[in-house]
Amino acid sequence: MSTHEREREREREHERASDMQEHADMTPDASYELLGARNVSVNINGVQILREINLKIGVAERVAIVGANGAGKTSLLRALSGTLPVASGEVILCTEPITRLSRATIARSIAVVGADLALPFATRADELVALGRLPHGSGPGGPTAHDHDRAAAALERVGATHLAARDVRTLSAGERQLIAIALGLAQETPILALDEPTVHLDLKHRVEIADLLVSLADRARTVVAIFHELDMVRDLFPRVIVMKGGQIVGDGAPSEVLSAARVADAWEIPVERAARL
Amino acid sequence: MRSHARLRTLLTVGVALLTVVAILAIGVGSVAIPPTEVIGILLQQIGVGREAAANAGSTAIVMELRLPRIAAAILVGGALAVAGGVFQSLLRNPLADPYVLGTSSGAALGAAVAILLPIGGVAWELGGVQLAAFVGALAAVGLVWRVAGIGSGEERIASVLLVGYAVASLLAAALSLVMLMSGANLRAIFGFLLGGLDGVTWPRLAAAALPLVCATLLLAIRGRPLAALLLGDEGAMHLGVEVRRERRISVALASLATAAAVALAGLIGFVGLVVPHLIRLAVGPDPRAVLPLSAIGGALLLLVADSVARTIGIPVGVITALIGAPFLLWLLHRSRAGYAL
Repeated sequence: MSTHEREREREREHERASDMQEHADMTPDASYELLGARNVSVNINGVQILREINLKIGVAERVAIVGANGAGKTSLLRALSGTLPVASGEVILCTEPITRLSRATIARSIAVVGADLALPFATRADELVALGRLPHGSGPGGPTAHDHDRAAAALERVGATHLAARDVRTLSAGERQLIAIALGLAQETPILALDEPTVHLDLKHRVEIADLLVSLADRARTVVAIFHELDMVRDLFPRVIVMKGGQIVGDGAPSEVLSAARVADAWEIPVERAARL
Repeated sequence: MRSHARLRTLLTVGVALLTVVAILAIGVGSVAIPPTEVIGILLQQIGVGREAAANAGSTAIVMELRLPRIAAAILVGGALAVAGGVFQSLLRNPLADPYVLGTSSGAALGAAVAILLPIGGVAWELGGVQLAAFVGALAAVGLVWRVAGIGSGEERIASVLLVGYAVASLLAAALSLVMLMSGANLRAIFGFLLGGLDGVTWPRLAAAALPLVCATLLLAIRGRPLAALLLGDEGAMHLGVEVRRERRISVALASLATAAAVALAGLIGFVGLVVPHLIRLAVGPDPRAVLPLSAIGGALLLLVADSVARTIGIPVGVITALIGAPFLLWLLHRSRAGYAL
């Protein structure tokens, strides 16, 4: 098969994934491996920061990743999105090993919303969100009318249409986070991954963004997000992955993996203290 | 940038404006030539005009003196503005300009050494100084590239800037020494440092044109990966860009364009710094729009500045600084009102 044919094959695979999403009936389908890791280990400067990670995430799932600082949450997200090379094991994206996918194909499958946006130039919110369309086009021209439509739709989806003409750098942290999520949505990927989307936000914005994530996953999109607020995770995420020391120490329903004993173990705090969280 | 269609309109208007200004600029000088005559001469040269549309004197002035200089102004201005826009996007720094990786100091040192070498007259005529400047500029970037590890994936933007600064300082010190020892040649070196298009002839233009045009055009259509880099390395990867490869390609092309521009015209400041900002002010930060429009904007600015320079007899580098510096100050002042630099 030529490179081009393989690329076409992947596109078809990708379409199948989107079709499945549309017919997913809001029930998570774990049989299709949208995102997975098999015995993944990652080293940075000789230090092992992820150890023997195994997981499998299906269509329309809503997964929270929690753990103490330095537990490897962000590294896991980076390994799963192919920006952190693995030392051993394999990351699977849309049933294919991620190392066989081009960067552009990955960007059409998984959107990653980073911790914070830092921009070098004054940038309107709608201009920024339109950058989410980059993986879907090619050639030298600027964003097309279709790109602008999709960007506007993404802004509307997060309820930030009124911010479209504002310079992103003048927005509040909560507003910037909404714009960052809209940027991810404009990528129109089956997976949306977020690194601490509610960090530094007040209660109002935390609730707003948590509800938004729930509604996005309801629309048959897989949402994987790193969180620190365990109460919010218990309420909103049917599946929780708990990390400690670069390993997954819990993967299941919050009632199971976020019991007082296991929280106490993962965060190294007294059980009686964990019971009151 | 609203859409494809608007970008196309702006580019068309820009090219038309540039053409008109170029024809007017050809007519400006100690012997004024009306635009209709200029057009007649140009058409005649490409074989579509009427015979004897102009007298031989005007034809010689246009073809031998003014046209190469006008063409050089367009190519150099476009190259500097595009390279500046690329470095600003690539390094995510609004104060970056085409010389940020040491090209200017390298070129200056190369030219100064060539001027002092005892080869003399013949080398001058054949563009030996220009060649030395070109090589010096590329050598300086090569040094920065190696030390900062550009494209290795390990580089930090701050350290690339600092390495560029350090290399430029080192070369500037060497240049000062060379100038101290240059004696009677000091004036020639100083002339190169000031920058100008006075000495441009067809052969020199032809030598510089290939790298200038190729690098500038290739950069002007490379806005897509640079647009993703607005979000930083990690963000760009998430938008499907092979960051390391794109950085290597863009730094190499922008350095090539800058080196060729410096070799042909000396050190002309502010065009590469100011024009991309002016364009961003109008169409937003997306390099897919900023770079091609900067090419036209830079060409226009240098063309106008050089025409003024020819008319009043001041080096063009002084004119661009006189236009550019106040503009930059205005931009910084305006930042409080909306366009945050």
